[in-house]
Amino acid sequence: MTALAVSNLTLWLVVIALSVALLAVVRQLGVLHERIAPVGALMLANGLKVGESAPQIAVQDLDGRALSVGAARADERATLLMFVSPTCPVCKALLPVLKSSLTAERHWLDIVLASDGEVADQREFVRAQRLGEFAYIVSAPLGIAYQVSRLPFAALIDSQGVLRARGIVNSREHLESLFEAKRLGFASIQDYFEAAAKKRAA
Amino acid sequence: MLLDPAAGYLLDLGGALLFAAAAAHKLRDLPAFTEAFVAFRVLPDAWARRAARLVPCVELATALALALTPASASAATRRAAALAASGLLLAYASAIALNLVRGRRELDCGCGGRRDRRPIASWMVWRNVMIAAALGAAALPWTARPLGPADVLTVAGGLTVAALLYAAVDRLCGEIAPRALAMRGMP
Repeated sequence: MTALAVSNLTLWLVVIALSVALLAVVRQLGVLHERIAPVGALMLANGLKVGESAPQIAVQDLDGRALSVGAARADERATLLMFVSPTCPVCKALLPVLKSSLTAERHWLDIVLASDGEVADQREFVRAQRLGEFAYIVSAPLGIAYQVSRLPFAALIDSQGVLRARGIVNSREHLESLFEAKRLGFASIQDYFEAAAKKRAA
Repeated sequence: MLLDPAAGYLLDLGGALLFAAAAAHKLRDLPAFTEAFVAFRVLPDAWARRAARLVPCVELATALALALTPASASAATRRAAALAASGLLLAYASAIALNLVRGRRELDCGCGGRRDRRPIASWMVWRNVMIAAALGAAALPWTARPLGPADVLTVAGGLTVAALLYAAVDRLCGEIAPRALAMRGMP
């Protein structure tokens, strides 16, 4: 009887340990998915062309200020239009990067957050993530005009209202590659390599 | 058919744990749950708003009944508690199934808070039906036998494993499977 009891106790401990291990594996799987999730190409082939005028849309931000996205600007500043959503985990991971970029690129760039859905949810998101320093737009037409397919999605518009880069942005590297593209004057990394290849050939 | 009391205790206490956790989730953010409940469109809006407050209370009462009745009260009260819990789960399952049939796959299930929004899915229907069946089994008459230390081990171990497996399956079906599915659709 004692042997049976001991064996039973041991089995329970093992089963509990296995369940804990299973839960840990499942959590790790979640983290892994979050990391590799929508790693898409930075540039999307279809739709809007980089180097042409960005679609102009008049919108209001959450504070009621009127904004004209995509219009040429007198103050020579560029705009990064960043499409996010309260329900997108990758967006949340990217928010600290956006905040630091807002400060670091302050001299030439405005960052505007754009989303779509219930206004109450968006306000809660802005409050919870402390996004007060960004202009925050809730507008479905904006996302349609910029052909946002997956989040987080960015569009970089220069001071003349020309679209300089657009695509999915998942990480600090992606976001910085957008700034780098603007700095070097190339629409994308592909363009950069093509131009470099031409230069070598010449 | 008769049920062994150790298995009965395990089912009843597991059910109590589940309902207590569910009620706590809802009470923590009652406005969010009210919105989710109204959005289910199973009752007229004005009724649903009032009924939404009742749901966590009913869940809490069920949890208490499941936790307390097996030890003291009569077999009839114990059976009533188990059947009520089972019925509640079947009601949730049918509400989710109804909205899935309506094609509202984006509907928030109301099982988490405002932060943890999760759309309804068919696995939730199956999960609820399975737990309802287990609680229904707990409503069967129990055999009478004195409980010993080994039964304490069975119940405690069983509860721990059930809670861990519930959390693992919840994550797997609720978070990871939809993401894996979404990734398969990526270019």
